[in-house]
Amino acid sequence: MKHLLLKLEPFIWLMFGQGILLGTILLTGWLLVVNLGVPLGVVSDAGLEYERAHGLASTLIGKLVLAALCALPIWKGAHHMRHVFIDAGGGDRDAVIAPILYLIATVGTVLSILAVVRL
Amino acid sequence: MANAHPHAMAPAKPGKTRTAPPQRPPKFPTGGRYLAYTLFDWTGLIYLLLGFLVLKTIWTLGDGQAAWDAQIASFSHPAYIAFHILSFISVVFVGVRFFRLFPKAQPPRIGPAKPPPAPVILGMLYTVWIGATVLFGAILAGGIF
Repeated sequence: MKHLLLKLEPFIWLMFGQGILLGTILLTGWLLVVNLGVPLGVVSDAGLEYERAHGLASTLIGKLVLAALCALPIWKGAHHMRHVFIDAGGGDRDAVIAPILYLIATVGTVLSILAVVRL
Repeated sequence: MANAHPHAMAPAKPGKTRTAPPQRPPKFPTGGRYLAYTLFDWTGLIYLLLGFLVLKTIWTLGDGQAAWDAQIASFSHPAYIAFHILSFISVVFVGVRFFRLFPKAQPPRIGPAKPPPAPVILGMLYTVWIGATVLFGAILAGGIF
C-alpha cells in the first residue's frame, strides 16, 4: 500500500495543491454569497432563484467550476487530515488511514462529477 | 488536542547511521509557531466537510426547485451560519498562509529573468484572489449574467 501511495503521490499532490489554490479562491466567493450573504439577508436571494441557478450551472463552464468547487476542497481536506493523523498518532497507521481518506476523496470526486452531469 | 507521536516521521527501516532517538518538540502542537501549523492542518477537516456540503447543495440543484429552495433556506439555521463563519475564517487563513509561500518558493532565476520581488508576487496573487471572489460572487448574487 505504501508503494501504491508513493506512485500516486504526483496525482495526490496535484489535487491537494489545487484544493488549496483553486478551492480557496472559489470557496471565498461561494461562502460570502451562498452560505453567508443570502442567509444573513446582506445579499438578495434573487441570484439564487432556481431557474437562474440551474441555467448557469448547466453550462459547460458552470459544470466545470461547480465540480472543482466540490471535489478540490475534499482532496485538500483528505490530505491535510492524513497529516493530522500522522502528527497525532505516528506513521504506523498511515498505510490504513491514508487509503481511507483518499478513498473518501475519490468518492467525493465521482459524486461531484455525477452531480454536475445530472444538471 | 492529541500530542504528536515522537516516531511520526521515522523511516520504515532504521538507517546505518546512529542517530539520537526522536523527540517530540516541546512546544508541539500549540506552542510557538506550531499553533499556526496545527491550525493549518486542521483546516483540512473544515475543507472536507465544506466540500461535501457544497456537493450536497449542487446535488439538490439537480433534484428540482423544491429541494433547491429547501437547501438554500436551511443555510439560515444558526448551526450552518456558525459553521460557515468558521469556514470563511479557515479559507482566508489558508489563502493568506499558502500565498505567503509563493515568494519564498521562487527559483533564483526564471530563464534570463529574475523573479519579481515578493511584494509584487503577493500583490498579483491577492489581486487574482480578490478579483475572482468579486467576479464569482457577483455571478452568484445575480449582478452579472
